[in-house]
Amino acid sequence: MISGKGITKTFKQRGSVLAGRTVQALRGVDFQIPKGGAASFIGESGCGKTTLGRIIAGLETYDTGEITIDGVSVTSPKDRLFRKVQMIHQDPYSALNPTRTIHQTLRAPLELRAKQTRRPKSWIDERAHEVLGLVGLDPASVIGRYPHQLSGGMRQRVVIARALTVDPEMLVADEATSMIDVSLRLGILALLKDLRERLGVSVLFITHDVATARYIGDDGELYVIYRGQVIERGSVDTIISDPVHPYTQSLLSAIPVLHGLEEPGPEPVVPTEALDAGHEDAGCLFARRCPFRTEECETGRPVLGLTEGVPQEHACFHPKSRDVVATHLGRV
Amino acid sequence: MAKQAPGVRIDGLTVVYKTPAGELPAVRDVSMELAAGTITGIVGESGSGKSTLAFSLLNAVQPPGRISAGSVEIDDLGNVVSFQGEQLRKARGAHIGYVFQAAQNSLNPLKTVGKQLLDLGRSHGVEDLRGLVREAKELLGRMGLDGARVLDSHQHELSGGMRQRVGIMLALVLNAHLVVLDEPTTALDMITQATILRIIREVHAERGLTTMIITHDIGVVAEVADRLAVMYGGRIVEQGPTREVLADPQHPYTRGLIRAIPRLTGDINQAQALPGRPPTLTTVPKEGCVFRERCSLRMDVCDTVDPEAIPHGDRIIACHAVKVKEHA
Repeated sequence: MISGKGITKTFKQRGSVLAGRTVQALRGVDFQIPKGGAASFIGESGCGKTTLGRIIAGLETYDTGEITIDGVSVTSPKDRLFRKVQMIHQDPYSALNPTRTIHQTLRAPLELRAKQTRRPKSWIDERAHEVLGLVGLDPASVIGRYPHQLSGGMRQRVVIARALTVDPEMLVADEATSMIDVSLRLGILALLKDLRERLGVSVLFITHDVATARYIGDDGELYVIYRGQVIERGSVDTIISDPVHPYTQSLLSAIPVLHGLEEPGPEPVVPTEALDAGHEDAGCLFARRCPFRTEECETGRPVLGLTEGVPQEHACFHPKSRDVVATHLGRV
Repeated sequence: MAKQAPGVRIDGLTVVYKTPAGELPAVRDVSMELAAGTITGIVGESGSGKSTLAFSLLNAVQPPGRISAGSVEIDDLGNVVSFQGEQLRKARGAHIGYVFQAAQNSLNPLKTVGKQLLDLGRSHGVEDLRGLVREAKELLGRMGLDGARVLDSHQHELSGGMRQRVGIMLALVLNAHLVVLDEPTTALDMITQATILRIIREVHAERGLTTMIITHDIGVVAEVADRLAVMYGGRIVEQGPTREVLADPQHPYTRGLIRAIPRLTGDINQAQALPGRPPTLTTVPKEGCVFRERCSLRMDVCDTVDPEAIPHGDRIIACHAVKVKEHA
């Protein structure tokens, strides 16, 4: 179980023009990801979802709050416990060293691992073959190759195999499918789901594409993040079928409709303005762009919590379910 | 001269790239028509030849590539494949507008947008530069931006969505009526993407354009395009009206591609990845069907004979299995 409480992070901008300006990347975020569980962070770029993922993976410090891994508090990115969390980056083309074969790439962490656990040298190659098999690659044909000889989808599988060499408890996949060819994306999503089921690895999925969040498992939790605040949180299916926050609704409305296969949702929500993170408002962070804002929204800031009649947590003064998602016409 | 949306006829177009293994085709024997005033979407994965096809429309394929056969006939302009030098330079911009892939990064970081606009005007011999600026402001205003502010900005002061709109403005400001957009929404957020797609649709209708959109995302095409062409391994394997192709895809690749898209509703287990991987320039089979390695309907004939693109009503499909089904 990995959980966080009240995580905040502020970035100071550098350079001659923007010096001194600060950006609140995270404004007190809570999360819990159970062992073997799944969670997705969704939101626009700049909302803080990647920062939060990096903090969880121990690649970034945080200002205040507390992160615990199995009840033990971890603070410094140097903490060994963070090894249990491995990051899968967006770009499989730059995540692998081009001068190393796949064998060399996997060998380095395995040698360390063998030393730690006093395993014989022969274990290293055995394990290298094993992790490649786990990610659905043919070890014999892949292991001697260089990254440039593999397709994007295969490279991403190698990256996942490398993450598995240290027996992680959690994989943090940051937009892990967005640079992969469309016909192969689903394969990577299915792999992550499969690793959850077979190895009990928990998966944190960071994406701007809500539909992909469905594919990590129906017990997964969805966190909708807006300007550093979680504004809606609940099971993936609940939030997709009955979103109550207008921001979640506008994200869902923006997903292209496959006309001919799908009907658009009858109540699409479109933000009244484009994202302008420069303003620090006293009220709801989304109020400026919200088509349903009232005076209340401009003065007070709603906090994430449960209200009567709504199954998921949300941060909105006027939660109302709207029918925004395209429906499948039931062919193909 | 009042211009109007031109029709475009691409016939037997083949583009080859010089490699150590000889000249290999990135686009092979492609024929299609862009009817005047329509939006056509070209969908394909990386290496399918979709960007090369788009560059051919401007006769702008860069060495080591070259157009080795075929023609691109544009109304009121002629066959651009035969154009050279100054004639070609003038056609680009004035007749054909191009919004580059990653328009976010195709602006000059050292100059304001306004200065780049004036450069564009001068290089095309526009005499009324004030009029050009006025037109640019109008276009930017139409797309929901403050024109004066944007023209005064450097690229780093603009967001991704704003840069994309600047790219569209620069493609249209010389009054081009044929516009090619290469991956217009890649790297944009969902909400920004929806805004840009709406703008593309509206500007297309208001200015009377013929538009071609290149993308890997079927969703983008589904939102805006009247017609859809699916490319695989340098060939167009299926083309037809967007809604019909989506509702009832015929080619096994189109079917697989549509089935592989994660959707928000419907049975989650229906979505399936296509087995195998898309071919690259060097792994495209020399003979036979380009898709056969990943195809579930593969027959003996697929190994040796490249299927011809055959019209079936509004649809053009290049598949042996589809032909057999119809004759049976």
